[in-house]
Amino acid sequence: MLKKHPLAGFSLFGIILFILSNRVDELRVFQGATVAIYVIAIASIILLTGYSGQVSLGQGALLAIGGYAAALARNHWGAPVWLTFCIAVLAAALGGYLLGIAAARLSGPYLAGTTLALAIGLPSIANQFSIFGGEQGLLFDIGAPPASLGENFSQYKWYFWIAALAALIAIYWLRNVMNSRYGRSWKAVRGNDVAAELAGINVGRNKVLAFTISAGLAGLAGALLAMTISTVSPGAFPLALSFSLATGAVLSGVTTLGGVMIGAVTLVAIPEIVDTVVSRFESSESVANNLPGLLVSTLLILTVLFVPNGPVEQLRTRREHRAKK
Amino acid sequence: MAQFINMLLIGIGAGSIYALMAIAMVLVWRSTRVINFAQAGMALLSTYIGFELVQKTGNFWIALPLAMILGAFFSAVIEILLIRTLIRHSTSGPVAGIVPIIATLGLLGLIRAMIGFIWGNQDIQIQPPLSKVGFKLGQETIALSPMNLLVLLTVLAMVLVLGFIFQKTSLGLSLRASAYSPEIAQLAGIRVGAIRTIGWAIAGAAGAAAGLLQTVNGTGAVSPDSLEFSLLLTFGFIAAVIGGLESLPGAVLGAVVLGLVLACVQIYISGTFVFVVAFALLLLVLLIRPQGFIGTKAGRRA
Repeated sequence: MLKKHPLAGFSLFGIILFILSNRVDELRVFQGATVAIYVIAIASIILLTGYSGQVSLGQGALLAIGGYAAALARNHWGAPVWLTFCIAVLAAALGGYLLGIAAARLSGPYLAGTTLALAIGLPSIANQFSIFGGEQGLLFDIGAPPASLGENFSQYKWYFWIAALAALIAIYWLRNVMNSRYGRSWKAVRGNDVAAELAGINVGRNKVLAFTISAGLAGLAGALLAMTISTVSPGAFPLALSFSLATGAVLSGVTTLGGVMIGAVTLVAIPEIVDTVVSRFESSESVANNLPGLLVSTLLILTVLFVPNGPVEQLRTRREHRAKK
Repeated sequence: MAQFINMLLIGIGAGSIYALMAIAMVLVWRSTRVINFAQAGMALLSTYIGFELVQKTGNFWIALPLAMILGAFFSAVIEILLIRTLIRHSTSGPVAGIVPIIATLGLLGLIRAMIGFIWGNQDIQIQPPLSKVGFKLGQETIALSPMNLLVLLTVLAMVLVLGFIFQKTSLGLSLRASAYSPEIAQLAGIRVGAIRTIGWAIAGAAGAAAGLLQTVNGTGAVSPDSLEFSLLLTFGFIAAVIGGLESLPGAVLGAVVLGLVLACVQIYISGTFVFVVAFALLLLVLLIRPQGFIGTKAGRRA
């Protein structure tokens, strides 16, 4: 049913989430919101890497653009909540477009290094201009949930609803784009850009388009992230965020959207697991500080060594292999 | 005038350290076609080892070569354990290009976490072996201290030794042949696998020197999450790329140019624009002369 009627599938999943969000405690609801945000951000990397063969390590910088754009729109023009998210998407997409024009000519390690430089540099640039509020950053307050939802409706649940809805819409839309003419062009470019060019695909334009859409999604994720923590500041988009997102994308498998939940859930679960371990064994502070990094990095290296295409793709290939026999 | 001289001194001083990092990246790129983003982590580890050695021996100039030797050793171990496995498992298809990038990033995180486990996440402090007060030129104090001078001389000595190895010894010939064409080198009887490991080892030593010298030349403080090292990695990468990524003289030239440009921005405009300018320089070179300052046209497809 899910294959034939994706819209029905997505709606059903949304309803399940809605029911679940009423049954679990606040912390889980907040983590759910974080998962939804990571899903969008990871999908933006998968779009770029898996479907156009480019790897960006600077996704955090694009998230930052989205977050700052949303906060500025809200604080200066008092834009309504839905509009701030649209502005975040547009601003980040514009940034991605400009980056894409330069980056479409780069490949592999050059692009990775250039985007890495962007991720390291952009937060410190945001620090320098007073309009961005310096080290403290800007407040980004979307206000309390509407009164019609009842008195017991918590702020976190409101965040979760917005983030989950945005993630569902974004993934559904992205899935359709992937199956469209553009998606097929990207796959062709990824497979062999010379062959794609000979088949009449404008490689440069397609890469820039992939960059722009990917950046727009990243901007949405950035605005949502800013929403859940109520502020945007350089510290909210550190290099570690870019790395985590790249990790999430690799764990999900960069060639399909199907596994996008795996990476997002892992990223949220790891700090939780570490907390449990630390409190169970009463470990020292250095374990609490470094265990997450250790787990993530080990997982990353093992994944690229043994399941470079991601678990979903791996299972599919194995199934096809077995079917042939 | 004094300002101009200071700019030159600061630029060349900073550039000399970027040059070591750029050389490390170029060596790794030439031997295994991998941009080693973990170079920052390896340099960091060597710096921590250098810190321990300074504590034990009390002498920076004994600690530096020892840290470089250990840095070379770690780098070789990483090549043998990780990069060889990676090449053996090498996949074709869409992810082939990103696998080494992701693997070295994972390694960077792993090294940082392990340093945190061993030494904790607080800053450690390495005492500079020499005075950091600038020399006097008449009335003016110029931006060149005994420490800066020694860093400069050390880097110069290392670059000369490396140049000698590459141009005059049979090891250098093997290194160049393996980078030029692994298959032909293998047919000519060069053990390409071992040569690759040596390339990584030299890169590890250069990175170790870059890390230690950058630390004592700067504030002397390091932590596992040091921004200083992220910047060192980025500027080393930028220097390597604008220099051509294939050539060692190119890496040195790129680093000195980058150092001078950044010093110029810092002194005449504002320190806040250093990063923007470095980034713009990288994009500009990639767009106008993608093969770098020194590099042949056929060098790469960007």
